[in-house]
Amino acid sequence: MKRDYIHTSESVTEGHPDKLCDQISDAIIDRFLEHDVHARVTAECAVSLSVVFIAARFASGIKVDFPNVARKVIQRIGYVEHEFNFRTCSILTSLKEMVPDQHGFPDDDEVSEEDINRLVAYDQVTLFGFACNESPTLMPLPIWLAHKLTRRLSEVRLQNVLPYLAPDGTTQVGVEYKDRIPQRIHSITINSSQNDRAYPKPERLREDILENVVRSVFQDEPVAPDKNTEIFVNPGGPLKLGGPSVHSGLTGRKNAIDTYGGYARNSGAALSGKDPFRIDRVGAYAARYAAKNIVAAGLADRCEVQISYSIGLAGPVSVQVETMGTGKISDDAISALVEKHFDFRLGGIVKQFNLRKLPSLSKGGFYRKLAAYGHFGRTDMELPWEATDKADLLRSL
Amino acid sequence: MYIFVPERLTELVKVIHDAVRGRVRYKVQGLYHSLPLRYRIEMLLPQDPEVREVSASALTGNVLVIFDPECNPRKIGSQIEQIAVSYLQESRNGDGSEQSLAAMPEIRAARPRKGEQRLAVIETGDSTPWYLMESKFVLVSLNSSKKRGLSAEAAQANLKKYGPNIIPESASRAKWDIFIDQFKSLPVALLGAAAGLSVMTGGLSDALVILAVVGINAVIGFVTENDAEKTIKSLKTLIRPYAHVRREGTLREIPADQVLVGDILVLKPGAYVTADARLIESNRLTVDESVLTGESMPVTKISTPLKEAKIPLGDRVNMVYSGTLVTGGQGLAIVVASGRSSEMGKIQSLLAEAEAPETPIERQLTTIGNQLVWISSAICGVVFFIGLLRGNGVIQMLKTAISLAVAAVPEGLPAVATTTLALGIKNMRRHKVLIRNLHAICTLGSVQTICFDKTGTVTYNKMSVLMFYSGMRRIDVRNEGFFSGETLFNPFDSDELLKLMHVCVLCNETQIDTKQRQYVLSGSATENALVQVAITAGVDVQALREQNPLLHTDYRSDNRQFMRTVHVTGNPGRLVALKGSPVDVLARCTFQIKNGQKTLLTDEEKDLIEAENDSMAGDALRVLGVAYATASGDESLDVDEGLTWLGLVGMADPIREGVKESVAMLHRAGLETVMITGDQGPTAYAVGRELGLNNGNPLEILDSTHLSVTDPAVMKALSKQVHVFSRVSPSHKLQIVQSLQSTGRVVAMTGDGINDGPALKAADVGIAMGQGGTDVAREVADVVLEEDDLETLIIAISDGRTIYNNIRKTLHYLLATNFSEIQVMFVAGALGLGYPLNTMQLLWINLVSDIFPGLALALEPAEPDVIDQPPRDPMEPIVKTEDFKRITFEAATMTAASLTAYGYGLMKYGMGPAAGTMAFHSLTTSQILHALSCRSEKRTIFDSEKSAPNKYLTAAVVGSLGMQLATLLVPGLRTLLGTTRVALTDALVIGATSVLPLLVTEATKTGVVGPK
Repeated sequence: MKRDYIHTSESVTEGHPDKLCDQISDAIIDRFLEHDVHARVTAECAVSLSVVFIAARFASGIKVDFPNVARKVIQRIGYVEHEFNFRTCSILTSLKEMVPDQHGFPDDDEVSEEDINRLVAYDQVTLFGFACNESPTLMPLPIWLAHKLTRRLSEVRLQNVLPYLAPDGTTQVGVEYKDRIPQRIHSITINSSQNDRAYPKPERLREDILENVVRSVFQDEPVAPDKNTEIFVNPGGPLKLGGPSVHSGLTGRKNAIDTYGGYARNSGAALSGKDPFRIDRVGAYAARYAAKNIVAAGLADRCEVQISYSIGLAGPVSVQVETMGTGKISDDAISALVEKHFDFRLGGIVKQFNLRKLPSLSKGGFYRKLAAYGHFGRTDMELPWEATDKADLLRSL
Repeated sequence: MYIFVPERLTELVKVIHDAVRGRVRYKVQGLYHSLPLRYRIEMLLPQDPEVREVSASALTGNVLVIFDPECNPRKIGSQIEQIAVSYLQESRNGDGSEQSLAAMPEIRAARPRKGEQRLAVIETGDSTPWYLMESKFVLVSLNSSKKRGLSAEAAQANLKKYGPNIIPESASRAKWDIFIDQFKSLPVALLGAAAGLSVMTGGLSDALVILAVVGINAVIGFVTENDAEKTIKSLKTLIRPYAHVRREGTLREIPADQVLVGDILVLKPGAYVTADARLIESNRLTVDESVLTGESMPVTKISTPLKEAKIPLGDRVNMVYSGTLVTGGQGLAIVVASGRSSEMGKIQSLLAEAEAPETPIERQLTTIGNQLVWISSAICGVVFFIGLLRGNGVIQMLKTAISLAVAAVPEGLPAVATTTLALGIKNMRRHKVLIRNLHAICTLGSVQTICFDKTGTVTYNKMSVLMFYSGMRRIDVRNEGFFSGETLFNPFDSDELLKLMHVCVLCNETQIDTKQRQYVLSGSATENALVQVAITAGVDVQALREQNPLLHTDYRSDNRQFMRTVHVTGNPGRLVALKGSPVDVLARCTFQIKNGQKTLLTDEEKDLIEAENDSMAGDALRVLGVAYATASGDESLDVDEGLTWLGLVGMADPIREGVKESVAMLHRAGLETVMITGDQGPTAYAVGRELGLNNGNPLEILDSTHLSVTDPAVMKALSKQVHVFSRVSPSHKLQIVQSLQSTGRVVAMTGDGINDGPALKAADVGIAMGQGGTDVAREVADVVLEEDDLETLIIAISDGRTIYNNIRKTLHYLLATNFSEIQVMFVAGALGLGYPLNTMQLLWINLVSDIFPGLALALEPAEPDVIDQPPRDPMEPIVKTEDFKRITFEAATMTAASLTAYGYGLMKYGMGPAAGTMAFHSLTTSQILHALSCRSEKRTIFDSEKSAPNKYLTAAVVGSLGMQLATLLVPGLRTLLGTTRVALTDALVIGATSVLPLLVTEATKTGVVGPK
């Protein structure tokens, strides 16, 4: 493997149409779970021009006003006065009710071993979890920085620091590695959209963004842009409005952004729009949990955990650990540890992470918040799979 | 208009009479026939304080001015001259007479001075630009007053001057005309020519027979068409409109024809405008003017004068016109033109004869008929020349050719359609389906998508309150009692619930009256239900309304999904009451009342309320959110934030019995069903699922309050999918129908409300509910379901399809039989076998086989699977290419059989009448029997499951066969037809060759059911 290279990762703001769809899908999951932890639901969303399309299959005792949920997400993101806005957009829902197929999986505190073993996966999927020593949250540095930039880009809009910004925006960070260690920032690209094409002028925008976004993001970062770092702000010229009226969006199209920014492998399955009984979603959380704890325990500097599931089985078919030569003990030994200390069964994951209760426990939704700025390495949310509570256990061995 | 511009201005105004001091009559050049100049003079001249009265006449070109005797008449004259000059100059620059009025801002300043009754008399309600004038001036001009309307004397005077509000009915087509029309056709002309030829060649009896045939055809045509005409005429019986007018200081309801110029019309939603009128007051008045302008969106009206003179009718937004419909709001208007002078009257007098428009199917039939005439003429020409070449006489060949042409032309084709359609109307009327448009019958059969307006069509439009969610708890209403859980609950114990009901009663337009100590509620179903539940709770609703008088109302609109009213209260002065879409109302609330205490409304509580709303809506309830605010009198009352939340009200509008089954039936018939509702998503989902609108597919709901901003292409794409349109405001129904149509579908729309009018009209078939529906809906609809029963709609669709199929069957029969005649003559002639049929025989075949079996086929009962077929393609021609092929084949079968019989005769008797007789009997009988085959395209006479009997056809076939038999037996007929006696063996041959074609055609049908 090459030791000197540049890796770039991209992130998008919550106003990006793809992310908008992810958030609507997950807001629907939240809405169901808030009032019915036994709800099963899959929600896909697409958005184009002023039409939002929601396709959902669900089995639940409660009723959900899908359009209203979607409109609230759109409003919260800030599409209020635009061509595409929460009030005037049309919402097409395609709804199908299912017969519940996970009969009798009890509430989390009543779940027995037997229940967990009975709850089998309904997807065949190989999932990856990753962690490395490049950032405080053990995320790869490029995606960590890219998320930080988009988050700040949204913040300056919502806090009226740069009120002329529109909700849609993307960032990209290129990190130059030497001997697999981040050395410098090679390049930064920020694409922001603005409400008025003529205002502000590109020079002013660039200055504002550098000052309020880039500088503030890199204030506490050990690796910061140097004089040779190339910084692009709207290299394609001013982007008016952005959002669905310019380009369309779809649930599950930002998998790399949701995970590790392309730095590690990620499963092809999307994360958003799926309830916690979908192993292709929660398995990824479990894999990250294991990987992060291994790195936190100091067993490796970087670690990828690979889990494969098959339909009809409660637990994984295989669990593998790859430390890319950074392991303090052999990968096989770590694998054994992981298998011993982590529960990768679907029911086990749901139970240990309390995944069905989280929406009703957190204010303003859980999965919806998760749907923007990455499902991993979050500092703004208490994510159970980000806990390093098993590190001590692993270390002691 | 021609404008006279004099060379010298000094000649413009001449004094023609000035004997009385202060009263001068002027002659004004250019005034003659110039109404605009007349009004200009009448309006501008009185601005001079010395002028008291002005009366100008465009008929005489004179102006009579009464003025201060101290004033110099010449000064007045020069003023008139100035007005005239400026007018004539302007009109020279412009291109029309009205143009000049555009430059008259001063008009609005020209008001009659106080205390003065103006004499300015305007004789007719013609093109006076009332829309440019101040309403006060209009009132005075027509001797009316806004408050009191016309006085008794003024009414008398106006009646005398302008006449009653009657538009002379267009004369209906006289019976005599219908009869005469029977002779105005190409076949009759041909027959006439044939008769003439017969006379010339000495065949007087032939000529008489031909004339008799013409006569018989005409009588039959007359009888059926006259009957059809009557039925069609009856479609036009409109609802006799009444008008509310102010006259002699009272509000009266009078028949439309008694409305006079000068009357003050009181306009309310659903009311017809009975005469052209100028608005003097308008409160969100919207009017559907599509009758006049073709513009289907209602127009919002104002009462202020317009500035632009040269504007089309549709833009004169301070005028309302006769025949249009008030769709919303209210207003007062003064009648300025009535009867024949109204715009509608002018249009009607343009149409000398109001005939029912030709339906598409009639058009198609006429086209086919004409094509046939040319084809058969060509063939007859060929027959004629072949005959000549073979050495036959010119006269004989001419007669043969002409009679062949007569026989080949299916003369009754368009009449068959009219008659069948008219019979269809009668038949549907028996099923309580009123058809108001002839073309709707066949369109009904081809409907592909049907839109239901939920309220009133799918539901009964009878609301009742079932549930409250107040103070964060659920309160059920059942059996006139209030329950919290299972315990009975006194609403007066709950401050928040009581307040909620108070706001519901106040923010409410229902009229509350008492009759014999019983409350009588008149308003919308929703609002009535809200008042009713308050009454049930024991609230003194009338006292409540009296204590809190209404100051101001903001109606629910596309941009604000709630209604708001402002009331006077004791303390602190004003009460703002809101009710509407729960989500929208809740978003504006910061407080709530809980256990009698006003507390902050937390986000968690908002979430709970929303969940409760979803749950209520998910139970198919219509849910409203209720809130209020208080303010002191001088604060701005436009509060849209910081309101106090009171709770949710859940109301049910039960789904009509049988709708679910009807929807399933419509799906079976290959129709797509679409529901349009103003309800929020979960309610729409619950109802849509209950009805099974999705037909087993995922239920697609389009939720939009702003359909108008959606790109038409997107709308088109979306509307292909959607089963339910939710949160639709009434004005968008039209858009939905149109976008469905843009996908190429034939769309029917059902509705009952005033606001359904435009959509009903735009739909290919508008269907109104007869009992629950409003007059407006019934008036614009093509079809009215008298019993409000969707099941009858399915019968109507089935009837529509059957009628179309029957017309096709008749057409099929007529074409096949006529083709066979041509083929027999042509083939025999071409082969040099002589001409099997003579003129008389051809005419006989025409008479016996065409008319009765053809008409009887049009009365076929529905085929049993007619409703299981998908709707036909509206673009498909009535006779397709493959039909023509099939028809030709069937004709060839009959031809072959009768030529076989002819050949047998030739061999036995040689060329001559005896052989011809064989062919004649064989062809006629096989044609008559062919009617049996034409009963169905797929079913055959061999099928074990027989088609439903058609007694008319049985009678026609038996009767025609009887007549044919008579030609064998009655000697006189034999002589006339030139046939010979038929031997027994010959009869057997004839019998065999008559039946064989039937067997062949039946055996070769594609047949989908039963054994072949």
